[in-house]
Amino acid sequence: MTSTSIILKTFRLAWKSLVANPTRSFLTMLGIIIGSLTIVIVVALGQGAKKEIEQQYSSLSVTTILINAPSTVEGAKSKLSYKDVSELTPIQSLLIVVPQLSGRVQMQYQGNSSNLAVLGTDPGFQTLANLNLLQGRFFTSEDDEQRNKVVVLGAVVAEELFGSRTADVVGKSIMVGKKEYQVIGLLEYKGGTVGPTTIDDSIFTPYSVANRYILGINGRFNINAQAKDVASIPTAIDEISTVLRQSHNLKPGMNDDFRVRDMGTTVSSAVGSSRTMAILLAAVGIVVLLVGGIGIMNIMYVTVTERTKEIGIRKAIGAKEEHILIQFLFEALIMSLLGYIIGIIFSFLVYYLLIKFEISAIAVWWSYFLSLAVTLGIGTFFGYYPAQKAAKLNPIDALRYE
Amino acid sequence: MSNPLLQLKDIRKSYEISGTLYPVLQGIDLQINRGDFIALMGPSGSGKSTLLNIIGCLDTPTSGQYLFDSTDVSRFSSSKLAEIRNRNLGFIFQNFNLIPNLSVLENVLLPGFYLGQENISKAHELLNLLGLDQKLNRRPNELSGGQRQRVAIARSLLNNPDLILADEPTGALDSKTGQEIMNIIVQLNQKDKKTILMVTHDRNIAKMAHRIINLSDGKIT
Repeated sequence: MTSTSIILKTFRLAWKSLVANPTRSFLTMLGIIIGSLTIVIVVALGQGAKKEIEQQYSSLSVTTILINAPSTVEGAKSKLSYKDVSELTPIQSLLIVVPQLSGRVQMQYQGNSSNLAVLGTDPGFQTLANLNLLQGRFFTSEDDEQRNKVVVLGAVVAEELFGSRTADVVGKSIMVGKKEYQVIGLLEYKGGTVGPTTIDDSIFTPYSVANRYILGINGRFNINAQAKDVASIPTAIDEISTVLRQSHNLKPGMNDDFRVRDMGTTVSSAVGSSRTMAILLAAVGIVVLLVGGIGIMNIMYVTVTERTKEIGIRKAIGAKEEHILIQFLFEALIMSLLGYIIGIIFSFLVYYLLIKFEISAIAVWWSYFLSLAVTLGIGTFFGYYPAQKAAKLNPIDALRYE
Repeated sequence: MSNPLLQLKDIRKSYEISGTLYPVLQGIDLQINRGDFIALMGPSGSGKSTLLNIIGCLDTPTSGQYLFDSTDVSRFSSSKLAEIRNRNLGFIFQNFNLIPNLSVLENVLLPGFYLGQENISKAHELLNLLGLDQKLNRRPNELSGGQRQRVAIARSLLNNPDLILADEPTGALDSKTGQEIMNIIVQLNQKDKKTILMVTHDRNIAKMAHRIINLSDGKIT
């Protein structure tokens, strides 16, 4: 008989003694089941969050700079205004500076009505947000100057009002608030946001139109700028601060009434914090597995005591220490492995539920290997000591044990 | 011409319990030849279990020499002793000592498993001879005492050992069944020429052996 078949036989033996006590074996495996499940799901959630963040900021290049007015605790109105756009425009390190007035408003086309986002801005926004037109054109400076009631639709808006993301919309008229607007363009589906605005859910109009007819003081105002290149971002931020403080008449020592953020830092800190979260949760998974391993060790000790007599018999008829060691180690390993498999099956279920409830999760192959490796490591580590105890039993004492 | 299977020379064994030495065997000299059938008798505490454990390679003596088939095994490692138990010795216990969650056939095959040669045809042959061919897949607790002891005998014979060690083989059986088991053991000695060392309390059973050794206070009397 070859040594592989001894291993197979020992494996079968260990398996049999586990099946002989199914409830106990299952309860013992519970820690491992939950632990391996946790690791896989946590990694999937981490990947999902990372992807979501990347997608969210995908429409902006890292050179984008967002300037907004945080609502202050004192309720003081920020002085950030359309005037600042022209103050900032001369800054050398900036390529584009556009205003962004955003809010929500009721829109209607024939029978379809929906509450959607409006963004009033300058034509430069198209370049800044890297928007591609599917149909028609973007509005121009003339549209802004003449306050033409023209709108460009995001893909989801077209879907809501016209029933399709690729509907033929140019030339049609829609109701925005109480006035009629002419659709001049339709954007490609983008996925992602610019500052507070989701591109696909918005309609775009010239700033003057949004300010005068649609949003007015109900709109949220901020400014987007684009730096010349990555290297000039710090200078640009400094210059923006200086210009705005001057324009807002802030004396030295007074706090800024505006906030300047660059996308590169925002994205990398968002990705960083989501990674920290994932690592933290994965650590929780490993702790659960450790506790599961301790559970296995406890039960293995009980099993060894209960089966002292059997160990004595086996030794009397010629089992060596290593035979007994391997037998009990296999039992611990089979429990770990089985716990892992059940955990993975449950993880598919949990994954399915996450997707169903639109929680961003992406299963990745290495999380299964990570979980398997940790599980087997723990099974071996915690199974070893009880198995060692069994192997070292004195055959005479073991035989006498009742 | 004598043909010694094993020789004990001045075997001593003592146990230390909280600092005090308790001598159990006090210089045993014994020779068992091939084909012998020996009954070992003695009152409780006389050291017969200890002697049987040493001969059965389950224990090692404190001092003295134990030659098994001309090899001194008294200082063997636990692994080497396990090999001797597996290849050269067969145990029959008072309480049968079968493994409850294994079938009859699996119990009998167990010594072969540790030898690395699982002799299934030999197991079948032994179980046939002992009238257990209908019980192969039964669990030990489904069998009567006599049947269990026959399974244990079949197991002791699987690896074709030189020496059978029987510790009160009829102790847990009624007298009729005990007689049947003794007949099997006598047959093993007469027909199969197995060497047998049997511990017993029962003088009538001891009489079936060729030779009776009496042990008292750790000495052969």
